[in-house]
Amino acid sequence: MRNIFLVFRRDYIGYISAWGFWLGLAALPILALLGASLGAFAASTTPARYYTVIEAGDAYATEIERQFQRLRADLAKQTEALTEGLSATAANPAAISVTAESIPPKFIAVDPPGRTIDELRPWLLGEKLILGPDGEKPLFAAIIVPDGDRPIEYWSDNVTVGELRRQVEDADKAIARSAFFEAQNIDPDILRQANDVARDVIEQKIRTVEEQETTGNEVTFSDQAPYFMSIGIAFMLWFMIFSVIQYLLMNTIEERSNKIFDTLLTSVRLPQLLAGKLAAVFGVTLTMMGSWGLFGLGAFLLGATSAPAEMMEPVWLGLRTMARPDILITAIISLVLGYLMYGVIFVAIGSLCDTIQEAQTLVSPLMMLLMLPLVAISFTISDPNSAFVSAVSWFPLFTPFLLILRIPTAPPAMEVIAQLGLMAVTTALVLWLATKVYRAGAVHGAGISDATDWVKRVIPGLGKAKQTPAE
Amino acid sequence: MVAHPLVMKNATKFFGGFLAVNQMSFEVPNGKIVGFLGPNGAGKSTSLRMALGVMNPDSGSAELFGGPPVPSSLARVGFLPEERGLYKKMTPRSSIAYFAQLKGMSSREAHNRADELLKTAGLQNFARTKNSKLSKGMAQKVQILSTLAHRPEFLILDEPFSGLDPVNQQELEDLIRAEHERGATILFSTHVMEHAERLCDSIIMLARGEKVFDGTLNEAFATLDRGVRIELSSPDFDLGVTLAAKGYRAHRDSGDSSETEHSVWHIALDPGQDAQDVLRASIETGAPISSFAPDDARLRDVFVKFAGPQAAKALDASAIRDEAA
Repeated sequence: MRNIFLVFRRDYIGYISAWGFWLGLAALPILALLGASLGAFAASTTPARYYTVIEAGDAYATEIERQFQRLRADLAKQTEALTEGLSATAANPAAISVTAESIPPKFIAVDPPGRTIDELRPWLLGEKLILGPDGEKPLFAAIIVPDGDRPIEYWSDNVTVGELRRQVEDADKAIARSAFFEAQNIDPDILRQANDVARDVIEQKIRTVEEQETTGNEVTFSDQAPYFMSIGIAFMLWFMIFSVIQYLLMNTIEERSNKIFDTLLTSVRLPQLLAGKLAAVFGVTLTMMGSWGLFGLGAFLLGATSAPAEMMEPVWLGLRTMARPDILITAIISLVLGYLMYGVIFVAIGSLCDTIQEAQTLVSPLMMLLMLPLVAISFTISDPNSAFVSAVSWFPLFTPFLLILRIPTAPPAMEVIAQLGLMAVTTALVLWLATKVYRAGAVHGAGISDATDWVKRVIPGLGKAKQTPAE
Repeated sequence: MVAHPLVMKNATKFFGGFLAVNQMSFEVPNGKIVGFLGPNGAGKSTSLRMALGVMNPDSGSAELFGGPPVPSSLARVGFLPEERGLYKKMTPRSSIAYFAQLKGMSSREAHNRADELLKTAGLQNFARTKNSKLSKGMAQKVQILSTLAHRPEFLILDEPFSGLDPVNQQELEDLIRAEHERGATILFSTHVMEHAERLCDSIIMLARGEKVFDGTLNEAFATLDRGVRIELSSPDFDLGVTLAAKGYRAHRDSGDSSETEHSVWHIALDPGQDAQDVLRASIETGAPISSFAPDDARLRDVFVKFAGPQAAKALDASAIRDEAA
């Protein structure tokens, strides 16, 4: 044990005293802060855009504006519903009042500076600015509604923002429908009344009678939190494992190229050496997680003292979800086994290589294969019950990242145990095989070409293997 | 205390179909300096690695301090491998202390010992310099100090002189003598016979994975014939043929080249034969003699005798490669 600890300590101190470690440690919080700041900055700085409608009369301009009003009203309603949902579980409920008027408009109608597209061109190209409620700006779009049945023309220099164009299409449909009803001598008010009697669809979650009595039927954020958290944990596991196992690869290559193995192996047994190395990088993993956890805790405490309780409720829900035994235990087992499985593979690869370039030839295909769990994670975001995720999670190399995604869908306990067992058995097999490869690399100086020869010996017909050189 | 810190019994090792070491048996007596001699590829490093349990023999065994090489017995051994290196980001002080701790020393004791050794070796000013910034010679010294740090009872040095300049080779010879005086048993491998001649009590010679000689230096020299060495100013004169006619056994030096402007001949003296008679007989044949001297027994000749001229050439090639490196 003492020698394992000594190897662990040397490697661990070596890792955490390197600049790369501190950069990696700082990267996540910095990126999180940067991402949040940039998101907020982008949202707050997206300018209101001017558009103009050229038509006989004002039917289209009025209908487009009505469409935008309805959109803002829907958004206000959704925001209020979310805060109500959070308040229902908060100790001190407080409503946040959101109205359509409090949501700033994204598009503002202005009087047309010309009647034809040639007259409007300088404003649309930004060569001239038009004065509106937000000051002088270029004209974002012009909608020309010709008489008769000819198509409506939507002119803009921007071809990526389609929101205004969609509102024009909806407005046209509404006006056409209204005109149709009028042509049929039906009062437009009747159409409006018919629209008003359309009912909302309320999403509800089926629960037991006891649960229903205490929490009600409506879908709340607390119902969705486990899915969000499992996706977050899966991403985190993937990120953690693949950010730290590179350390093992580099360290092993360094020991091989520095020819330290013989000195080490007369002081430390090979399994002890391997255990110390794996423990050191796992220690680095825990240090990173702990540091990020402390950063998160600091952000949480700061938020708890300054933000409204409703704003902090999702964080509480996330923490409560994390503490769920099924999620917590699965996450811990997945982290440990996933780390061991991939860690020893990288140690084995490193023990066969003298340079990073050599290692790349073996690592690159492996890394490409391991992008598949990321695809599966993205599937889960749209459909947590995806059959694809269920199937792929049985593949032991992917189980560490995908099983956690299935926990919120409450898969059968036997299935979870079977997947964990399969993952454990595979980890043991990989550990056994990787130790043999590590021994071949560290003790016998085997290289990639020897590994290729071994494959040739194992798989008949691939050619004759050459002998291992002595001494 | 065991009489023999290391006993190899019929150790055999294959690499694939290649027989690297064949039926290797020898004993290293306690308190002696033993040379493990042979050219590159003779099986020296493989034998030493089997002795230390780094790799297991396919058959036979290695006994270290009376038992298999286990952590407790390995802690009593200091091993300097042929392929040696240091962690580049560590310092000499932390490197020496780290390896000493792996051998069982406490942290404080190991660091104190590292300071002491670095001071003795004149490297105290580089104690906290990163290994990557040391010169090659300094790095080799640090590696050797790491081997000695825990005051081992048994030192195994695999090609310790390899890559060292003459000054550092001399320092290492002194260090080996000092460790021997301290009471350590020393086994070192080399393909340079002169080091063994100067340092060893006994020698083990290897060729093609097999032991060809095992004994003291005196026993080794006793295997050679008494003789004289005659140098001729012409490379073309065949002294062997002319002396054979007079009943003498003569052979041309195996290191001699036909491209040189002289030739060296060794003449064995059988019982009853005299050096003066050989000189007289040589003069009578008209040989262009440029020097005549009693033939000093050298380990290289012993090696040639037991391993054959091909192995001797391999030995010379190893020395040339080492010098080039």
